[in-house]
Amino acid sequence: MHLVSVTAGDLGSELFNGIFSWSFLQFIIAFLSFFGFVLTSAVILILAERKIMGWMQDRYGPLHTGPWGLLQTVADVGKLLLKEDIHAALTDKSLFLLAPSVFLAPVIAAFAVIPFSPYIGVPGTALATGIVYYVAMSSIDIVGLVMAGWSSNNKYSLIGGLRSAAQMISYELPLVLALVGVVMLTSVLSSTGLGTISIRDIINFQSSSLYPGKGIPFWDFIFNGFTPWAWFFLVQPLMIIIYYICGLAETNRAPFDLPEAESELVSGYATEYSGMRWGLFYLGEYGNMTIVAAIASTLFLGGWAGPGVAFLTAPGMAFGWQFLGNILGIVYFVIKVYLLCFAFIWVRTTLPRLRADQLMQFAWLILIPVTLGNILLTALVYLILNSFGLSNLFFLIVLGVLNWLLLLGFIQVVSRATAATTRRAQAPAIRARRSAPVPPEAQLPERAGITGRQ
Amino acid sequence: MVTNQDSNAIPGDIEGPEGIKSQEMLLNMGPQHPSTHGVLRLVLTLEGETVIDCTPVIGYLHRGIEKILENRPVMGGIRYMDNADYLSPILNEIAYAGAVEQEMGMEPPRRAQYIRLLVGELQRIASHLIAVGTYGLDLGAFTPVLWTFRDREGILSLFESLGGSRFNVNYLRVGGVLHDFPKRWLQECEAYLDQLEKNMAELETLLTDNEIFDARTQGVGYIDPQQAIAYGLTGPMLRASGVNFDLRVNRPYMAYREVPVNVQVRQEGDCFARYRVRMQEIWESIRLCRVAIDQMPGGPISTRTPIALRPPRGETYFAIEGSKGELGIYFISDGSEYPWRAKIRGPSFVNLQILPEILRGHKISDVIAILGSFDLVLGEVDR
Repeated sequence: MHLVSVTAGDLGSELFNGIFSWSFLQFIIAFLSFFGFVLTSAVILILAERKIMGWMQDRYGPLHTGPWGLLQTVADVGKLLLKEDIHAALTDKSLFLLAPSVFLAPVIAAFAVIPFSPYIGVPGTALATGIVYYVAMSSIDIVGLVMAGWSSNNKYSLIGGLRSAAQMISYELPLVLALVGVVMLTSVLSSTGLGTISIRDIINFQSSSLYPGKGIPFWDFIFNGFTPWAWFFLVQPLMIIIYYICGLAETNRAPFDLPEAESELVSGYATEYSGMRWGLFYLGEYGNMTIVAAIASTLFLGGWAGPGVAFLTAPGMAFGWQFLGNILGIVYFVIKVYLLCFAFIWVRTTLPRLRADQLMQFAWLILIPVTLGNILLTALVYLILNSFGLSNLFFLIVLGVLNWLLLLGFIQVVSRATAATTRRAQAPAIRARRSAPVPPEAQLPERAGITGRQ
Repeated sequence: MVTNQDSNAIPGDIEGPEGIKSQEMLLNMGPQHPSTHGVLRLVLTLEGETVIDCTPVIGYLHRGIEKILENRPVMGGIRYMDNADYLSPILNEIAYAGAVEQEMGMEPPRRAQYIRLLVGELQRIASHLIAVGTYGLDLGAFTPVLWTFRDREGILSLFESLGGSRFNVNYLRVGGVLHDFPKRWLQECEAYLDQLEKNMAELETLLTDNEIFDARTQGVGYIDPQQAIAYGLTGPMLRASGVNFDLRVNRPYMAYREVPVNVQVRQEGDCFARYRVRMQEIWESIRLCRVAIDQMPGGPISTRTPIALRPPRGETYFAIEGSKGELGIYFISDGSEYPWRAKIRGPSFVNLQILPEILRGHKISDVIAILGSFDLVLGEVDR
């Protein structure tokens, strides 16, 4: 459609052709399938979260709605849809009503670049700037939260909105820097020497053709396109951990759920919301969780790769096999995504919440230097090994070993830093105790218990 | 404490950088707030997220328990003591029954004293479990509270088979206790204590060994020993500041004259120390329960007391070591069936007074961390 050249006369037919064109239909179907995926995965995740948390906390979780409580979330969503749309009198009405949509839209839009299986890709998956697009979309989220916090005209909401802005902007940086490591790997591995930020290409880089027993049909079936030893999480384990931590902060989930900290800020930016507008925030949160897990599984865990996918979808196979292969790809992908989401839930049941200043400290003093150092390290190792004329495989092995060592070091550094900051926080108390004279034992008259009436 | 007029003061102006005018913010935390442990209202004056001033406003849960006690026969008042500190009803009953006994110059039989020690320590465990669990919830950890409620459930079941009621047990009587143990109750109790020890070890790994928990609690809300004594703090809060004072040892009553107690003291004086003291006291209470079960003497469970109990004219003060501190009853009798006055010295109320003093300069998140470490029960503050 070239709207510039359209004259008034054939606007109608252009519009008609545009709307009933093949590509427009593709976009419609793509949008509906994302929206359906986000909705259903949110419903499934909420139920799974409640069940898993129940299992970890020695209780049942939802039990009575449908078999084993499986319909609980469906009933909840139905209730939310039927609730009255309340907004308090002194809210900034237009911002207040718009904020949930502004929060949810980028989450769904971000799914456009996620390839679910080798051929079932929607138009957006071919986007050459996949990672940048995803990062941009996850940044726009913040606007919705700040809008909600500001327009609610509630002090708790305001603090929650501002906290979320500070937190999400801070954690955006290490998140991007962690992904840069992967992009650098692709530039090393590609034959042209040019890296890629297209998500589909990064998946292809992880399914190398190096596997034992090539030519034997069984091994071909299993390992064609499924090479876990070439997945990037083995080479960059520290980066997937940092990406994951930043993902936790981006999605405002525990232990980084300060913006909606229930015990402090009641419900943060969502305090004044009710009904489906509140539901949209939660939909956005769980959608965000899915997208973070999806990006992690495509960039670090090989995306749709799994036994049989590449074999069945290879050119020359019958259409039925191709179809089956694609379905298998979706299944593997969704399994990986939900395993990562399970880790989200696990973290939530285990960890308390950080304080705002500790949160900022962690991002700026630990995560950003570490990720920057990783970029430097990757480049240095490549340059040094390349100057000796060593192969890419050797580079990957050396980098992988270094990165695993760094991961252990990182855990050490984090625990040391926690100890150091708490010691610094305790310092005034310790000093006061040292300067104060030793208090006497409480001098109270000793009496031998009940002695009768006095 | 303070009236509402104080909290309606106009916030002052702050001169920001480069002449930007900004204002302090008044934040009304409570009485409807998830983590003010009931209906405490804190009027916080904030500069950004930093607390400049704090005004606690209490009285939202006032039920006039002291007045009710004046209008009930002495024995009938025991049931109303349950509701003062609703997380440790048995300890309240022990305090009230003990005050009346002291007024009447009466000594309960030895078996009754040991039964009181046993159920009292179980109640202390239950109360501390709630304190620790909800403290985890205040800091954002969701799991501990459910685990501790699960463990407390065992104690409530034991009380149910003992007194017929789970929560407001109404088990104490002036001069003894209501029932002897049901069949196999002591074995059940021991089995429960074995299970509790395992669960406690799990809880310690979940909370104490957690670095985020340490970072949130250590060095936060420091109370130095002089300050603690000056404000009249008692219980775990006092002992966490390094003052070795426990009424069970320093002014022993009932069976504590025979059963020695290891007083749990920490020197740090911060939220972590208060949490640790409670955890250690749970372990100590488990030990005391076992001692009580082993040494349980035979004999009657109650002295014979008249149906219409008339304490002689006079006044007395009797205090026990409750789960939150010194739980005292100031009992005045005019010789009739009804107490002329029964004043409850609630430890939560006294402990609350230091809150504004130590909140200044902390962040909002720390407000919750500090408040949670106090283990307030608003039922006891407002009575």
